[in-house]
Amino acid sequence: MVDEEEIIRVAELMKIDLEDHSEHVGRVKKMLEYFDILDQIDLSSEEITSQQKSLDELRKDEFIPNDKRLIESLKNFREHYVRAPKMN
Amino acid sequence: MNLNTSILKYIEDVKSGSFTVEEFTSTTLQRIKDVDDDVHAYLSLNESAINDAKLIDQKISSGEKVGQCYGFPISIKDNICITNTKTTCASKILENFVAPYTATVVNRLQNEDAIITGKTNLDEFAMGLTTEFSAFGATKNPWNLKYVPGGSSGGSAASVAANECLASLGSDTGGSVRNPASFCSVVGLKPTYGLISRYGLISYANSIEQIGPMTKTVKDSAFLLNIIAGQDINDDTTIDNKNPNYLQGIEDGIEGKKIGIIKEMTSEGLSSEVSGATKEAIHDFETLGASCEEVSIPTIPYTVAAYYTITSTEAGSNLARYDNIRYGYDFESEGYEYNSYISKSRTKFGPEVTRRIILGGFVPSAGHAGKYFLKALKVKSKLISEVNDAFGNFDFLISPTAPVQPFQFGEKIDDPVTLMLLDYNTVTANLTGRPAISVPYRVVNGLPIGMQIMANNLEEQSLLQSAFALESKTQLPEVPL
Repeated sequence: MVDEEEIIRVAELMKIDLEDHSEHVGRVKKMLEYFDILDQIDLSSEEITSQQKSLDELRKDEFIPNDKRLIESLKNFREHYVRAPKMN
Repeated sequence: MNLNTSILKYIEDVKSGSFTVEEFTSTTLQRIKDVDDDVHAYLSLNESAINDAKLIDQKISSGEKVGQCYGFPISIKDNICITNTKTTCASKILENFVAPYTATVVNRLQNEDAIITGKTNLDEFAMGLTTEFSAFGATKNPWNLKYVPGGSSGGSAASVAANECLASLGSDTGGSVRNPASFCSVVGLKPTYGLISRYGLISYANSIEQIGPMTKTVKDSAFLLNIIAGQDINDDTTIDNKNPNYLQGIEDGIEGKKIGIIKEMTSEGLSSEVSGATKEAIHDFETLGASCEEVSIPTIPYTVAAYYTITSTEAGSNLARYDNIRYGYDFESEGYEYNSYISKSRTKFGPEVTRRIILGGFVPSAGHAGKYFLKALKVKSKLISEVNDAFGNFDFLISPTAPVQPFQFGEKIDDPVTLMLLDYNTVTANLTGRPAISVPYRVVNGLPIGMQIMANNLEEQSLLQSAFALESKTQLPEVPL
């Protein structure tokens, strides 16, 4: 059983303000309850697999010049810096 | 001028001088003007389309080399970037975002002289199956404006079906190309993972999503694949496809091929219309000389839960960048503490995106990952091995693309589980990286039904052969719009 308070706590961590989204908690809970179906499948002999690439297959880590100053497409910059709110 | 034509026929007609690129482009733009207030397939239009057309006409008349697209009009889903053009993802948070670069797929099309008509509507950040989650209003199904067009690439599918372009590019994370293709009676292809570059596609769940063509005919999808598929230095997940010509041998037929009918996708949960059409499709495949046999893939009932667990997790991470600092800036940071500032800005996300972000924080979190995320990854591994086994015995695996036909607006939006289950037949191709195509197959009670064919990795050429064979057995009415 999923605890609604825990959903609210996770929403805060994901920087979602639930004051405007309180109706979503019930719906998220419903989706999580559907995910309980994952308890019914036997996965005891399964390993998590992933595709791998060796480093020499990857693009070279080199600087590619861009003719635009991308920062200028932001409204909240000064010289080379973006303005962000203060961290407590 | 008939706008209900294929890309290949269009190219033939332009080459023979039946009409100019400018004439066709302006007729297409007039069509958009006439019907798009009702359909709402487009979020923005390319203002320079007529100029682009004139330039191609000049090339043709002066004997200069012309790209192989000859100026056919194509729309692009609005989560694929085009430089100096708005790319909104149908989200308020990107409402004014202008892309600083162009996606590889669009570059490749433009290099071959395709004309971009505009950017098409989608469920916000491609999360949804009806376009009802677009922040700018839903797209309507051209077959019946009271019905959903499918999603998330609903604008793309509707733009093709309503003759507002000849083709479109969508993106498919769990069926987002194939589902609207099925609902709007167009061809939709989700390629093998890595066949098409995702550079310039705004990420939602990048471990499984792909860009795919949406066209009026199977041959047109092959034509587009020839242009947009292949390795890209800007996307390290692309794979070497050896650049085959996907049109070559497309009419070779499927005599002697072995087709597996996926039991879990055809036995339960289908509407009677979809079930009836599926039986007819199986009969058609047999008439074409293929042998059909039922095959069971027992993990399929767990795939929707695994799919939503994995995609929410990736979405939670990918969407962390939308913080009103790097994107979507529209209010000062003065007087705010860091977290509350970002939380306030993220209220601009619509309801479905908000829910997926919360889910995406919950399912991989300490204490819950073992129950959800890690299990979902194991389901994916188990599914891959079962699908590998199935392709040991069969050339293709088939099912209807969606378990139901298009439904009316508002009909399913309040039930998250019903909505999730619409993905039941499509997520397997994404979770296993396999290519799959939706072929328009029937129109019953005025609404389309598509059939899905899945093939083994990088078998797009034979997949398109089988799709062409099935298409040749159909005779569908014209869209009543």
